[in-house]
Amino acid sequence: MAEHLTDSPLAAEAVLAGVGDPEHGGTACFLGTTRRESESREVVAIEYEAHRAMAEEEIVRIVSEAGDRFGGTMAAIHRVGRVEVGEPSVIVAASTPHRPEAFAACRFLIDGIKARAPIWKRIHYVDGNAEWIDGISESARGTAHINHGQSAAWG
Amino acid sequence: MGTQIRVTVRLFASLRDAAGMDRVELRVPAGTPAGAVWGHLPDAVVDLGLPTTTRYAVNQEWTVPGATLRDGDEVALILPVSGG
Repeated sequence: MAEHLTDSPLAAEAVLAGVGDPEHGGTACFLGTTRRESESREVVAIEYEAHRAMAEEEIVRIVSEAGDRFGGTMAAIHRVGRVEVGEPSVIVAASTPHRPEAFAACRFLIDGIKARAPIWKRIHYVDGNAEWIDGISESARGTAHINHGQSAAWG
Repeated sequence: MGTQIRVTVRLFASLRDAAGMDRVELRVPAGTPAGAVWGHLPDAVVDLGLPTTTRYAVNQEWTVPGATLRDGDEVALILPVSGG
């Protein structure tokens, strides 16, 4: 089974090679990359953390669902660790007999991964601050950061 | 005092940072549901407040907060996700 999470830089060519099929006339690929701006703040990198085993399984399910729904060959891979601005954090690809299904499958794959896979991003800003995007309120997180030295001693 | 069971709680993202570790071993009363482990976690974690949309997994399978834990179970607290 293909690995769906990796610590290594992503390459679209490798993902596309995985979906190539002479019976399929349409191949689509989507790359998500670290954007320089987030809510008017300058970003230097995004760090991704995952529940690796469960994220792998969830992406396997999403890829399988996409195959059932759109009838082609699908691939998806997501980075963990630090991804610099401009670098890809996720790549999905689909090849299908005709192009509409390939586009639709890519949309299904990326939307499914974003909504369902247990993966979290931590945005690192140019000013040195960083914040998790995980539903924890910013005020609570701010306190946690200040107390981090003490709380780390808690084990 | 009733029977106690041992469970492991996996923490990610803000929760892991606040705890200073990625898993916490707990002893909780037998019959404790997955959704109740929160109250047994370190104050530094509890003070963050758990998002209402948090999901739960036991032994790496999705489950509901009401699922009863058994001795040796591993509970993962899955905060609202943000991959992509």
